[in-house]
Amino acid sequence: MTDAAAAPVTAPAPDERPPRGTLRRAVRMLGLDRRRVLLAVLTGTLALGCGVALAAVSAWLITRASQMPPVLQLSIATVAVRTFGIGRGVLRYLDRLVSHDVALRGMTNLRTTLYGRLAAGRSEATLRVRRGDLLARVGADVDAVGDVVVRGLLPAGVALLLGAGTVAAMAFFWPPAAAALAACLVLAGVGAPLLAARGARIAERRAASARADASAAALTALDDAGPLLVAGGVERRLRELRDADRRLARAVDSGAATSALAAGIGILATGLAATAALVTGIPAVRSGALAPVDLAVVVLTPLAAFEATGMLPAAAVAVQRSRAAAARILALLDSADAPAPVASVAPEGAAPAPVAATSEALAAAAAAGIDDAGIQARALACGWPGLSPVLRDVDLDVVPGRSVAVVGPSGAGKTTLLLTLAGLLPPAGGTLLLGGVEPAHLSPADRAGRVVVTTEDAHVFGTTVLENLRVARGDVTPEEAVAALAAAGLDGWLTALPDGLDTLLGPDARTVSGGERRRLLLARALLAPAPLLLVDEPAEHLDPDTADALVTSLLAGPAAPDGGRRGVVVVTHRLTPLAAADEVLWVESGRIVARGTHAELSAGLLDYREAVRRERVTADQRERA
Amino acid sequence: MTPLDPRLLRYARSARGYLALTVGLGVLTAGLVVAQALLLAHALGRAAHDGATLASLAPTIGWLAAVVVGRASLVAVQERFAHRAATRAVGELRAGVVGHAVALGPRWLATGRGPEVVTLATRGLDALEPYFVRYLPQLVLSATVTPATILVVLGLDWVSAAIVVGTLPLIPVFMVLIGRMTEGSSERGLRAMSRLGSQVLDLLAGLPTLRAFGRESGPAARVRALGDAHRRATMGTLRIAFLSGMVLELLTTLSVALVAVSIGLRLVGGDLSLETGLAVLVLAPEVYWPLRQVGAQFHASTDGVAAAQAAFAVLEAPVPATGTVPCPDLRDATLRLSGVTVRSSGGRTPDGLDLTLSPGHVTALVGPSGAGKTTTVEVLLGLLRPDEGAASLSVPGAEPVAVADLDPATYWPQVAWLPQRPVLEPGPLRTLVGGASDDERAAAAVRTGLDAVVAGLPDGWDTELGAGGAGLSVGQRQRVALTRALLSPAPLVVLDEPTAHLDAAGERVVLATVDAMRAAGRTVLLVAHRPSLVATADTVVTVAPPACGPEPVAAVPARGAR
Repeated sequence: MTDAAAAPVTAPAPDERPPRGTLRRAVRMLGLDRRRVLLAVLTGTLALGCGVALAAVSAWLITRASQMPPVLQLSIATVAVRTFGIGRGVLRYLDRLVSHDVALRGMTNLRTTLYGRLAAGRSEATLRVRRGDLLARVGADVDAVGDVVVRGLLPAGVALLLGAGTVAAMAFFWPPAAAALAACLVLAGVGAPLLAARGARIAERRAASARADASAAALTALDDAGPLLVAGGVERRLRELRDADRRLARAVDSGAATSALAAGIGILATGLAATAALVTGIPAVRSGALAPVDLAVVVLTPLAAFEATGMLPAAAVAVQRSRAAAARILALLDSADAPAPVASVAPEGAAPAPVAATSEALAAAAAAGIDDAGIQARALACGWPGLSPVLRDVDLDVVPGRSVAVVGPSGAGKTTLLLTLAGLLPPAGGTLLLGGVEPAHLSPADRAGRVVVTTEDAHVFGTTVLENLRVARGDVTPEEAVAALAAAGLDGWLTALPDGLDTLLGPDARTVSGGERRRLLLARALLAPAPLLLVDEPAEHLDPDTADALVTSLLAGPAAPDGGRRGVVVVTHRLTPLAAADEVLWVESGRIVARGTHAELSAGLLDYREAVRRERVTADQRERA
Repeated sequence: MTPLDPRLLRYARSARGYLALTVGLGVLTAGLVVAQALLLAHALGRAAHDGATLASLAPTIGWLAAVVVGRASLVAVQERFAHRAATRAVGELRAGVVGHAVALGPRWLATGRGPEVVTLATRGLDALEPYFVRYLPQLVLSATVTPATILVVLGLDWVSAAIVVGTLPLIPVFMVLIGRMTEGSSERGLRAMSRLGSQVLDLLAGLPTLRAFGRESGPAARVRALGDAHRRATMGTLRIAFLSGMVLELLTTLSVALVAVSIGLRLVGGDLSLETGLAVLVLAPEVYWPLRQVGAQFHASTDGVAAAQAAFAVLEAPVPATGTVPCPDLRDATLRLSGVTVRSSGGRTPDGLDLTLSPGHVTALVGPSGAGKTTTVEVLLGLLRPDEGAASLSVPGAEPVAVADLDPATYWPQVAWLPQRPVLEPGPLRTLVGGASDDERAAAAVRTGLDAVVAGLPDGWDTELGAGGAGLSVGQRQRVALTRALLSPAPLVVLDEPTAHLDAAGERVVLATVDAMRAAGRTVLLVAHRPSLVATADTVVTVAPPACGPEPVAAVPARGAR
């Protein structure tokens, strides 16, 4: 599953702290509506404010009542107490709705931005992220940034506003108690969250590797249960798992003291505020500076004033965890936006290609008499940006009607070659012209109008068969779709489908087999309007006869929409059908080690002849059997 | 599950001590909550009503401060040990689940439970942390603080106690009512939510493909539209989900308000002292506080509870008994399958298979994927009992023994199995490959083509490989595993698609290796796709796909005995 040598992922290592401002940048990308944020903070403050007011008014009510005034004097207070009691629940309900709405709107904004910038940015940024990682970033990571709003930003705003309001109201009764309350609120609302975040950070930093080890050990033990049982490796895996879990427990322990302190501070601050109000208030009552009724208010109100700050330590921990998610999203975006590291193209610098230059470049190419439909590679080097090229010195011309097959051992860079020829990876050296124009000067639509590549990991969307084929061209008719599926050898499969072309394919087509998936991707490529097709291993997972027939018909050059024959480049591991290719490239150890027709290579290259012979012999063997 | 499943304490021993600690802290907390309320009410009542001096109240205030510090300490101690207990309990459950699932065998894992156990063991059980850290302590507090405060309120003022006790049962009643009312609609909402969410992710995951076709700009508007629809669906669900929270809040704050008003009115009549009134006023919210927290943490804990349930289900699945018959020497033993059928979701795979493996003989198992080739291997290795037919092992002059009755500890060490995805332990290449001497290892490496791989490694044979052979390509890993199989002295060799991921040269290497094994008199079973590999076998056995008619099996000599 994940055993392929993965392209380096640009996310920071877990033990590395993301740079300051990461979270702020990510939150800004949520594009939050200021008025809605204000509304959420306001309803939140009013909801918790009702709780504080309930405590204050009940304290007043009871103390005043003990002085046995006429009952009428208490009637406003009794009504207020009940109103606050109801208001709190209702307002809190509204607050939760408004704040979730704000966050969800922000998450939609962020996903749209993410999609837009990835779509417009450099293509290799999305190509080099593993599929699972991409899903995690647009899924769970965006959720985590949205979580910052609901659990961090808005509660912090509420705590600030409510704290300020309560302190101001208290100052009206007795300023010294208000000052003590303010100090305790800062302790609980700033000190405790900081400590909690620190404890979580310490634990998280040390726990990350242990957590990964535990997952890996569990995964191997379960994935390879049978082989491990037979080879006697189960105990060792379980020991690794227990070791990793023990290290995890130690790591968690290392941050626990700090977290414990943070949790204790919240309770301590509440009690201290009440005690301070008592200590300063009692002499003031004696001296007449404070009414006895007001003493009850200033002593009992603090008990309800810490509800908002009490949520902040957990919020700080959540925000702390979201920071890593934000860093991963930004890393992905930055890699999509960054200018190409290899400036082999435009002389005016490495800026992303201005699409306006296209027409100019096209005109220049036309003037120079270059065929406007072909691929022309000279001394082309192919590789992922930032890594050394896997393939060098590729000279290749592909024009409509010409077929080229690329063969060679796995890991020789065949897929990278296709992606480069299609203009999706910048050349790592040498020159590449698509229809006489450097790919960097072509708009995505122009590029795809010339050449289309289908890699083995191309996506099958969770929609109908027809809509999946329409990815190639929006106006594919059902008849065209049926014809393309037949050309890819899927006519039998299509008739077996319950709803024909309207059959829904599962998420990422887990409902189709490996071989069917490859041929579906091929059918899609055949529907693209481009005169040149680059196809990666269309016949993998098929039995030899079907595979050979498929590759042969592909090499014969499928008809282009305008009636002519298309140019194709096919990467394949089957050699027998390559007699149909105009040219075969044998790629090994980072170069083209041999090229020519199938007949020439069979005659001149021992390895090639041997491999073809073996395919034949075994085919005969099978027939006899 | 019940809020606290006793099985949790059985399977996660570290949870026991933690629960005891939590209960102890809960009892102490209840005492301190009551003490704080009484001390506060006493100080306040005396000062506000009787105008007592600070000096006369100093002891009370001193005790109050001590109680505050005590409560803060209890919370800190709880927090200090909660995370540790959670990590340990999760670790214990994880090790238990993985160990038990492996013991249940690959077939059990393959019958749909595998992915679930993987999720459980990697991420799922981590969801127990909020359960241990947040939910469980509040649950305990609602069993200590709530009754303690109610009793004290009852002692102080029975009217207030009646109000509190009267409203308390309304909480579960309303929660259940709302749950019933909203069940259907919120499930519909959740389904819509997850569908819309996955559609957005699908578009984003397909972005590289859309780019390849130059069609990436169109779906941007669709991403936004889907996002908006997702938000509306989510808000619809939340409007209902938050209702239960609102009822909880309403009931608790309203009853506190009622208590306050009732005390006030009776104070005016002189039926109650201020000190008592204040004490009840401070205590009333404390009655509800743990319950409100349990309600608030309930959603955070449900994932963990569900994960624990799933873990118990795995742990309680019965493990089939392993065999006890000591395995004879396989060097002169014949393995025989007769009429072996295994029923699976794909039908009967294999269906009535006959197969004989004997020393010095190479047998190839062919057939389309899904026909039961790997299952056949698992039957042969005793990892699986056939539903019909028999797998037996016979040595000359002894009764055949059923493979499943063999003691695995004596059978498996005599087997070298190269599965489709070879398992490579982390460590130096030399140890991994094995072999008695450097010369023997080098000779084997020449045969399998591993010598070229080793020559390209920075530290040669001393190169440290990561877990799963990280640092090597798939083809190179295959060669490492092949060399190990070649060097292993095990008399029975099972190679499952050994040429997968290999090019023509690699394939030649495998064929040479198989020839060497045959020459050494070992019993070889090949699971083969590629015809070249089939051609090297002495006997070819076809496992027919389940749908291929009543006579699914044919054993054909491929090229006669050699």
